[in-house]
Amino acid sequence: MTNKLFSPIILLLVLAFLIGPFLIIIAASLSAGETLAFPPQGLSLRWVLKVFEVESFRASFGISMFLAIGGTLAALILGIPASYALSRYKVPGAETIRTIVSSPIIVPGIIVGLALLRYFVVPFNFGILFALFLAHTALILPYAVRVVSASLNNLRSDIEEAAVLLGSSRVGAFFRVVMPNIRGGILAAFILGFVTSFNQVPVSLFLSGPGVRTLPIDMLAYMEITYDPSVAALSALLAFMSLGIVFLAERFLGFSRYV
Amino acid sequence: MFQNRAEAFALVLPAAIFAAVVFLAPVLILLSEGFRSGDSWTIQAYIDFFSQSLNQTVFLRTLKLAALVTAASAVIGYAAAFAIVNLPPKGKGRITGLVVLPLMISPVARTYAWLVILGRTGFVNKALVTVGLSDEPIRFLFTETAVFIGLLQLFLPLMIISLISALENMPRDAVPAARVLGANWLQVFTKVILPLTKEGLVIGGTLVFTGSMTAYITPAILGGSKVLMLETLLYQRVTVANDFVSASVIALILIVMAFAANLLLKRLATARNKR
Repeated sequence: MTNKLFSPIILLLVLAFLIGPFLIIIAASLSAGETLAFPPQGLSLRWVLKVFEVESFRASFGISMFLAIGGTLAALILGIPASYALSRYKVPGAETIRTIVSSPIIVPGIIVGLALLRYFVVPFNFGILFALFLAHTALILPYAVRVVSASLNNLRSDIEEAAVLLGSSRVGAFFRVVMPNIRGGILAAFILGFVTSFNQVPVSLFLSGPGVRTLPIDMLAYMEITYDPSVAALSALLAFMSLGIVFLAERFLGFSRYV
Repeated sequence: MFQNRAEAFALVLPAAIFAAVVFLAPVLILLSEGFRSGDSWTIQAYIDFFSQSLNQTVFLRTLKLAALVTAASAVIGYAAAFAIVNLPPKGKGRITGLVVLPLMISPVARTYAWLVILGRTGFVNKALVTVGLSDEPIRFLFTETAVFIGLLQLFLPLMIISLISALENMPRDAVPAARVLGANWLQVFTKVILPLTKEGLVIGGTLVFTGSMTAYITPAILGGSKVLMLETLLYQRVTVANDFVSASVIALILIVMAFAANLLLKRLATARNKR
């Protein structure tokens, strides 16, 4: 069959197209030269080290971390009870509620950011950071509800009913019986939310002010003025960070089962 | 199923109210601005928007690029997914992992790589000049081709994974049977594979199409102000001209497209569940 020869060639080309640019970024970030180039002009770690010295990168990394962790936690605090209610209770208008909660996933992020800027930040004098926090929480909420709902639906509800019959309170049954069983799903939702928020650009585009910027936005701004390999080095470092998180998650809890 | 309504509402309302206040209300107000003129309601903003040739160009370019990226990813996606499905199980898992891997990497990093490859002093130009195919560097950046390549690289994995699961659900013997009965490869594809994997193609296609339609980073980095798409146009209208009316018009166009695609997906999902 022609397939024997054809398949490996196709796969090689597709993988080269998908992964190749990422390898080139790593190579370019190891350059010793002044400007971005591939093949790199000599090898050195100077640009990788420089990333840690750029003041604005350090500040925006902190902000992105805060948003990714804080936003995901807030989304889980809102999302876990909502998912629980939607899967265990007869909620009137459940479909409408589900649509409202998951709509931020459908509407392009740039619009959410602009709307928040125009109707929250400007008229009510909200801080940019607070608006960013709200926007990222809203953005992660659909993922949190989806992943947690999926693990709740896989969990038999009679074990908690048994706990209640045996004298546990409803809240006690939730924390002692349900939570331990959906821990994996919650962790998966946390990782998915973290990665989504950390890599998010459009939502944060309009929500940036003096000294308050997320890391990807800061990178976009930095590469408009300079053409040195430090953004390549930072890109490579961030990619390794995301891949490391996903790898660990897959290793220890079979992440892909949940998403 | 628990019946207690008060409890149910207490659990579900914080999330619903949060989404409604932080997300739904501001977005709806933004959309309404496109229909306001003083105190009255009008569609004048839409007429004005589409009567400007720049806006027409950007609108059509966005549709065109999204369609081209979808078509290209479908062609490449079938070839790749078919090759992956026919691998031995261990290789299948690994290669699928490698295909999904880029989805976890920041789109800024992934798009930035193309600057290194396609730039004036980039890899491709150096190779062309060294080999002697071209006397001077060719301009790749800030062209539709560059944006097309960037978007294809960004969204191809979504198409491949949709087609992999569609091909895996296809009856194992369908292709060999058609071959034995004398069909050539083109017939096998159009008469057997395509009808049996249509759903996967539509799911992958909608993901790629809406993703490309609403992309910001790729046209911003690889297209610049020369190759505006709807999102970069929106950003430019707001930051350069403080033009919130055009922004509202573009926002509605993007949302309508995204919702239409999502509705299509939902309909397909329910159709499949019934079967």
